[in-house]
Amino acid sequence: MTSLHDSYHRPLFPRGPGFGLKTLLMLALALSLLFYDVRGQRLQGLRHWGAAALTPVVWAAELPPRLWHSLGGIDSKSSLERDNQNLRQQQFVLQAQLQRLQGLEAENRRLRELLASTAQLPEAVLVAEIVNVSQDPYRHQIMLNRGSSDGVYRGQAVVDAYGVMGQIVEVAAHSAKALLVTDPDHGVPIEINRTGLQTIALGLGDERGLRLPFLPSNADIKAGDLLVSSSLGGRFPAGYPVGTVYEVKPVAGEHFMEAYAYPAAKLNQGRQALLVWNRNGAPASEEPAAEPAASVPAKPAPAPATKPLPAAAPAAKPAGRP
Amino acid sequence: MSRPSTRATWTAYLLSLLLGLVLQIVQLPESLAAARPLLPAMLLAYWALREPQLPMLLPAFLIGLLMDVLLGTPMGQHAIGLLVLIYLVVSLRSFFIVFPLWQATLALIPAWVIYCFLMYWIDGATHHTADRWLRWLPALSTSLSWPLLWSVMELIRQPGEEE
Repeated sequence: MTSLHDSYHRPLFPRGPGFGLKTLLMLALALSLLFYDVRGQRLQGLRHWGAAALTPVVWAAELPPRLWHSLGGIDSKSSLERDNQNLRQQQFVLQAQLQRLQGLEAENRRLRELLASTAQLPEAVLVAEIVNVSQDPYRHQIMLNRGSSDGVYRGQAVVDAYGVMGQIVEVAAHSAKALLVTDPDHGVPIEINRTGLQTIALGLGDERGLRLPFLPSNADIKAGDLLVSSSLGGRFPAGYPVGTVYEVKPVAGEHFMEAYAYPAAKLNQGRQALLVWNRNGAPASEEPAAEPAASVPAKPAPAPATKPLPAAAPAAKPAGRP
Repeated sequence: MSRPSTRATWTAYLLSLLLGLVLQIVQLPESLAAARPLLPAMLLAYWALREPQLPMLLPAFLIGLLMDVLLGTPMGQHAIGLLVLIYLVVSLRSFFIVFPLWQATLALIPAWVIYCFLMYWIDGATHHTADRWLRWLPALSTSLSWPLLWSVMELIRQPGEEE
């Protein structure tokens, strides 16, 4: 105990002159990585390799919640019965609605054929489990347990039972990362269900949800309006609920109004998400159906509504970082 | 109990870093998530103070990149934070190790604050503005858990041996 261990015998000057230099070199390397990652897509490969190498880490991090969940799965008989009954009722109601929907869908297809536009309603979907790992608390992201091996692609829309959740931004072999609609980097082209006004909903980055900037000051929009996704930009399937407007207010000193909306999807509840394939989502085919409705209430619409494609397409992508 | 051999030290070093990464992404309740201690940073600082012969910079850089991949931040963000932290801790090692534990805990607070500031700054520079007071919570929680981490690591590193 009185003498030092072998490994403690260090040179007389323990910090070699290289330490500061090495730190500087590595800092320079890290800074250039940061620069390239923020500016472009060139580091996607590195990210892919990192994500593949970290698969066991993610798996290990998911273990405790999963164990907890399986322990919590031991329920009393009465609660199971209650659940069962509720689900039965719910299913009955949904089944009834579905019957109506099937009729409507067939009618819709016939009408579309009359209009000579391609039918879009049947979309391929895949259920993905939300992997229970925490992300950076300041970014609104979730990780899903489906990856490129299931055919998941970057930019794919993610929905849940209540509405649009977000889109895939990063795909590994067996997992994918999705950016939620409330992330400040996220924009989604939307349509106001009541009037058909087309605009864009950006994430606010906190619990207040979504922001609809640059609305014309005479736009017909009010609290309680349902926002549904529009297929402008070709990324999201049309018609899924995105949010509900709760506040419309003019911006001081500007000619615009801004609206705020709560997201429709239950973003931080539940364990499943639905991946939607929207491959034939050619935006042009949706145009004839959407245009007449859009032009009625809001003639002097600003950029998002008047020139749909160029304005909506960049917003559908995550703005800065992939 | 004999002194830990270099190989055992290396194993403990790498395993603890790996565990730190895992604990970094384990799900916490929503209210606690913002106050998650900076475990990888603490572990690297611990090893830098305790075993100065270990290489620190490259592991810090790699762990930082892995954290960036895990958390979806721009590549290099956490790497920069960890590199600066390790540089500070290693350069001021002789200053930190003369203190008893509780004073060292206080002395290390600026290091955690600098790390938090770097994360905040890079987030701002890459347009991820989240201007909240919550950003500084990790510095607090890290300082509070430093004595705990130090004692636990000492126990694991030299079982049965009193300092």
